[in-house]
Amino acid sequence: MSKDKPEVPYGTLDLLILRTLETMGSLHGYALARRIEQVSGESLQLSQGSIYPALIRLQQEGWIDCTWGVSETNRKVKFYALTESGRKQVPVEIANWEKATALVARFLGATS
Amino acid sequence: MTLHGLAARLAALLRKQKFDTELDDEISAHLELAERDALASGLSPREARIAARKQFGSIEGMKEEHRDRRSVRWLENAWRDAGYGLASLGRDPGFAAVVVGVLALGIGANVAMFGLLDAVMLKPLPFGRPDRIVRIWEAPRPGVTNSTTAPDFLDWRRMATSFEALAAESPISMALTGAGEPVRLDGRAVTAEFFRVFDAGIQLGRTFQPRDVEPGQEAVVVLSNATWQTVFGADPSIVNRNIQLDGQPYQVIGVLRPGAFDRSEETRFWKPLVLKPGQYKRGMHWLMVHGRLQPNVTPLQARDEMRRIALALRDVTPAHKHTWLVEVVPLQTLLLGESLRRTMYLMFGAVVLVLLIASANIANLLLGKGAARRKEMAIRTALGASRVRLAAQLLTETLVLAVLGGAAGLMLASALVNAAAPFLAEMLPYTAELAVDYRALAFAGALVSLVALTIGGLPAMQISTANLGSSLQQASRGSSGRHHRIRRLIVVTEVGLSLVLVCGACLLFRSLLNLQAVETGVRIENVVTMSLNLPSQAYPTPAAAAMFYESLRDRLKSIPGVSQAALSTHLPLRWIGNGEAIELPGREEPVNVRFKRVDAGYLNAFSIPLLAGRGISEQDRYGSSRVIVINEALAARLADIAGIRNPVGLRVGLYCPVYGDKRSATEQVEIVGVIRNERVAAPGVPHPPIVYVPLSQVASEGVKLIVRADIDSASVIAGVREALRDVDPHLPIGDIATMREVRERTLAGTSRPAWLIGIFAGIAALLAAIGLYGVISQTVNQRRREIGIRIALGARASDVLGHVLKDASKLVLIGLVIGAVGASAVTRLAKALLFGVSPLDPVAFVVACAAMAFLGILAGLIPAGRAARLDPVVTLREEG
Repeated sequence: MSKDKPEVPYGTLDLLILRTLETMGSLHGYALARRIEQVSGESLQLSQGSIYPALIRLQQEGWIDCTWGVSETNRKVKFYALTESGRKQVPVEIANWEKATALVARFLGATS
Repeated sequence: MTLHGLAARLAALLRKQKFDTELDDEISAHLELAERDALASGLSPREARIAARKQFGSIEGMKEEHRDRRSVRWLENAWRDAGYGLASLGRDPGFAAVVVGVLALGIGANVAMFGLLDAVMLKPLPFGRPDRIVRIWEAPRPGVTNSTTAPDFLDWRRMATSFEALAAESPISMALTGAGEPVRLDGRAVTAEFFRVFDAGIQLGRTFQPRDVEPGQEAVVVLSNATWQTVFGADPSIVNRNIQLDGQPYQVIGVLRPGAFDRSEETRFWKPLVLKPGQYKRGMHWLMVHGRLQPNVTPLQARDEMRRIALALRDVTPAHKHTWLVEVVPLQTLLLGESLRRTMYLMFGAVVLVLLIASANIANLLLGKGAARRKEMAIRTALGASRVRLAAQLLTETLVLAVLGGAAGLMLASALVNAAAPFLAEMLPYTAELAVDYRALAFAGALVSLVALTIGGLPAMQISTANLGSSLQQASRGSSGRHHRIRRLIVVTEVGLSLVLVCGACLLFRSLLNLQAVETGVRIENVVTMSLNLPSQAYPTPAAAAMFYESLRDRLKSIPGVSQAALSTHLPLRWIGNGEAIELPGREEPVNVRFKRVDAGYLNAFSIPLLAGRGISEQDRYGSSRVIVINEALAARLADIAGIRNPVGLRVGLYCPVYGDKRSATEQVEIVGVIRNERVAAPGVPHPPIVYVPLSQVASEGVKLIVRADIDSASVIAGVREALRDVDPHLPIGDIATMREVRERTLAGTSRPAWLIGIFAGIAALLAAIGLYGVISQTVNQRRREIGIRIALGARASDVLGHVLKDASKLVLIGLVIGAVGASAVTRLAKALLFGVSPLDPVAFVVACAAMAFLGILAGLIPAGRAARLDPVVTLREEG
């Protein structure tokens, strides 16, 4: 297992992927990884490979779907896009995240 | 994880290959794109490749995580281990075959036995709410039961509140004609409530209603499903058709659902029982009564109510019955019976022992195999496999073996049950349907898991406790002593357990020999028997019946090859269902007797010796002075209760059934002779008092034909059929059986378990021998070097042989001592099944020990012989 992973806060990669696909529509893996890096203003240390285990899980949950397409280098690659249930899942994930950060914020505020 | 996710993960298990290649493609496409971007930003091709790899992170780590994420990891491992297991079995097919075979024997025997137990004891009876059905008996003494009388039944039905329904029945036998060969069908005349009590379900038409038992309306029948299938070819238009029974038309009103009564030869059809005023006698016991209990009423409460009713009827009851009780017995209890229940437990115990021995054997084999694989395991540990992982792998391999063994066992069980069903039918209640069904399947599954978990743990434990590093160095030198000691212990246990079974089997077989030697009181060689039923329309009077008997017997005697012929109402060795009573002069209480009618040929045909007076002769015909012959047991009873020393010449009153009617009338008869007891029940049952009445003087519709042939009894059957056709072409013959078969049937309850347990014991002994062989073989293998040196130093072959055999004998001896102690504690459980043998019979024990010892030595002899033939040059070279 890779040891250089948690540069992305634990559990947030799913949300980042869902949110990116929501705004960008269909993307292949490399484009998705690059997009996440760009949006975070290159401040995020993302091991690009780590999006693939996240992608397979989201796929198994039925939130994203993939279709075969051709990459800029003319290779067959998978393009990922949100499914209907995935679209519904985005606000849920965002709400979860906000709940979690609010909790942490309150906790930090109370102890400082 | 959501359900959707779980389903997808399980699905991913099966598509591992596809996922892996797709992921590889994605990774390389990703790297290519990253490399292109890096090139575009001005890096050299080499730098670009490195940068792309760096940005991507650990590829192998990601793949691992990908697999973890998408699938159920432990399941995937188990799947792979099962594959390994199969592969490693494939490398050693001999080992696999032995393990699977041994398991199949153990599991197969158990599943078959479970099927038997399930059919007899566990499954509900094939009636609606069967726990509510009870039989109601009159009980002259505690433990003795009797049928009841028509007036008592009617009073019970009127007064009792414990029952939803009460039904009476009486056996009948009728000739079916007009559908090919005439056939005799046994059935029951029943009151209208019968099918409310025995809720067997209807396939076609209807069952009886109150209007069917009104006089004049009774010419209707209900058929069992088996009768409908076999006699009427499952004709769907049978309902409302007329069939000819005893020459009279009967309308078929219904056919039962398959199940309940199909295995019973005695209940093939039912017709209404209409009670006639002449049958209203409180001294004539001829009705069997069953009831369906009200909800919430227990059999005990019902019994108490019935006893209160009997008390209320005291004034109308004959004085000698004032001490009689009423018993209410659940049908299930009645069908199973105490002795069958014991037999079942005993046989199940035996078969569980077989499974234990089989499991011990497999544990032994696996331990041996594990020893051989220590090196492999040590290497794998050194390469980084965790012990838990290795243990899990071994457990999975055992599970694969157990599943294969279980599957083979299931097939074996199915074959066993099919083969044994006809063999066992005689000792089982008619409601028991033998089959290996889903319940047996579930039982087999449970057994497989149990066996896999218990014995699969052993080799796994070896892994996790042993110091694998040291075994890597020593593996080639042979194994440590510790687990070898375990294996020897297992063999000793196996020998001990088998001895218990073999002892049990020896006892049962000795008991069987005693049974065979029992003085049956009759000569049964070359005798064939058949049964007949006279339709009352063709033979309306006792005189007509008597004439028929005489002409039939004369005609039978003229058949070539027939030396003797006789007629009687009951065969020797079969219980006499008819109970009547005799009245002694000057004594109020009648003496209950069994009532058997025989013709003049009977005593001769079976060579039953006369003790006093004369037998029944051809002069005792219809209308001549009434006589009876009694058996020893009745003579003894007369002497006992009335001080009658010489009963010959005594005149007594005898209740005799009236021909063509369910009635009996008291007749004055003279006792003219006393004969030796003939056996009418299984050994162990005391001889009942019997009166033998001339058949011609008290005619019966149902009779048995008894023919003794000069040579082979089978050869005369055709002649008998022809003779019968000459006398009356419309009479069907039924129940053709040799006396040997009749005798076998009577003894079935004791001989069948003996054979089954004998087979189980044989299997157990064989398994123990295999186990011993395995252990001694391994010892010899491990000591090849030592033996080689001995031979090189001048030991003779016989020395080596003796040395190895001594080792084997030691194990056998210890096993035998333990087994003998165990057997002496356990065999008394079989006491109820033993006849004339003590549970600690020394002969049986000695024979069993000798047999086991012989088998043990034989198992040791093979590897010992191999050791003696070792070539020291070869062994020393290969080990050095």
